[in-house]
Amino acid sequence: MAIIEVKKLSKSFKVKIKEKGLKGSLKSIIKPKYKIVKAVNNISFEVEKGEIIAFIGPNGAGKSTTIKMMTSILYPDKGTIKVLGYDPVKDRKKLSYEIGTVFGQKEQLWTHLTPYDNFKFFGAIYDIPEVAVEKKIEELKTLFELEEFINTPVRNLSLGQRIRCEIVASLIHEPKVLFLDEPTIGLDPVVKENIRTLIKRMNKEFKTTIFLTSHDVGDIEKLCKRVIIINDGQVVLDDTMENLKYHYLNKKIVDAKMKERVNLDDEDGITIIKDKGYNLKIEVDTTKRSVADALKLLNPDNIIDINISNIPLEDIISNIYKNKD
Amino acid sequence: MLTAVKNQLKVTGLSIKYALVREFLNKATFLSNIIFMILNNSCMIIQWIVLFSIKDDMGGYTFKQVLLLWGISAGTYGVSRFFFKKAFELSETINSGKLDAYIVQPKNILLSTITSDIQVSAIGDMLFAFIVYFIYGFNITTFILFIFFCVTGGLMLTAISIILNSLSFWFNNADMVSDVGNSLMVNFATYPDGIFKGITKWLLFTLVPVGIANYIPIKILIEFNPYLLIINISVCLLLTLLAFVIFYKGLRRYSSSNLMSARI
Repeated sequence: MAIIEVKKLSKSFKVKIKEKGLKGSLKSIIKPKYKIVKAVNNISFEVEKGEIIAFIGPNGAGKSTTIKMMTSILYPDKGTIKVLGYDPVKDRKKLSYEIGTVFGQKEQLWTHLTPYDNFKFFGAIYDIPEVAVEKKIEELKTLFELEEFINTPVRNLSLGQRIRCEIVASLIHEPKVLFLDEPTIGLDPVVKENIRTLIKRMNKEFKTTIFLTSHDVGDIEKLCKRVIIINDGQVVLDDTMENLKYHYLNKKIVDAKMKERVNLDDEDGITIIKDKGYNLKIEVDTTKRSVADALKLLNPDNIIDINISNIPLEDIISNIYKNKD
Repeated sequence: MLTAVKNQLKVTGLSIKYALVREFLNKATFLSNIIFMILNNSCMIIQWIVLFSIKDDMGGYTFKQVLLLWGISAGTYGVSRFFFKKAFELSETINSGKLDAYIVQPKNILLSTITSDIQVSAIGDMLFAFIVYFIYGFNITTFILFIFFCVTGGLMLTAISIILNSLSFWFNNADMVSDVGNSLMVNFATYPDGIFKGITKWLLFTLVPVGIANYIPIKILIEFNPYLLIINISVCLLLTLLAFVIFYKGLRRYSSSNLMSARI
């Protein structure tokens, strides 16, 4: 059964248009002009229990607006949302006991308090008895490796440590669904990897459903099995990561080191990406030509070394964004 | 229902406790904020001493009654700014999208927001209120009533600020309107109502209800009047209810924001 159901959801914002300069400002006071921006336009999708789903799209695509409607922050104009059977508009309080939110760009912790005091405060917000909070903090402290800095004021923590604490604070009440809005923003690769491992572990240990938005392809590739791509407020793709990687663009990259030069100009289904004499990098469109066929053209006896890989996920996603435009 | 209220109060208490912990980090600033506020209010009393040396009666008030008026004004101001500081910055909270953090929590959004910070100097106002009350003269009945009116007045100031700041859900720059409204409530609160006549007096008992929050309590403290007490309580309840209704009505129009922010 779906844990999140979104049906024909829409949300528009009224934005004031102002002409430039002082004259424009005066004009906008006397006769203001507005335009309607459709942030989310008739989107539908479902999320199953225990899934880690990537909800991605370029800036301004409608990701945050959708998450905010699912977490009761914004009211939808049209459509319905059910998260764990609750309507975020009507059942805000009941829903908040069941979900957790981490907005990478917005800090929820008190910076002058230690993570430990913050966690106790969050425990009180969710009406959790003292003993249960202590037990939960102890459990999460070990899982998220917070021992070293749990008693250091948040303002003295590194960004990576702070994000770990933000995630822990959102888990104190054992939410069934966790919304992570760009949790790895601004983090270095090592810390990012660390956070990803912890998110995976959390999903495995607590069976938490995770709804993730990120611009970091690494987050999506390493964490999610399913991806929903949104652009201009509409869902442009809802598929498994496997399908996205292997079938969506049907292209493979062949990087070969040759004994002799090969001329592949004008070959149908093959695009030369790089040709440095004996080092050749080509893109094979598998809808027009199989990889085996492409290898035959290269002549297997002529190959010293070869690497066949998928198109980088980043390129696939960029292409999907561009094609929509 | 009772458990929900208890839990809400527990969170409010913790919120105040943690805000105080932050303020204690800098003891010198903490203490000087309080002391200077008491001194600031005391300086204003000096001008009244000078005025009363010229004339015995000011708008129907004796010097001691003016002292009491200052006590009530400082007390109501102190209660509103200490417990509900964020009600006076609600416009900024709405415009910068900082309500998000409170909406996703299973508590009353308005209460959690407005009690999320304290104004330390307001402790000075509350202490000053008690000092002048004791100079006016202590008796147990007026003392209880005095505290009660500081609370109802504080709630009224807070409610008016919430109502005006909530206009930010509909208009830009509503903070300017709320600043003017809040200033009016404070500026008129320290003058005897007898000096105001006609439309000004009418305004002070209607649109800018300083009269209900400050003048009526003085009249009750001088001579107990149950009808005036009912008016004070009723207006307090009405304004509080109105504040909740307008805030929640506006919340449907809340558009959040993606500005980077930190809770400091």
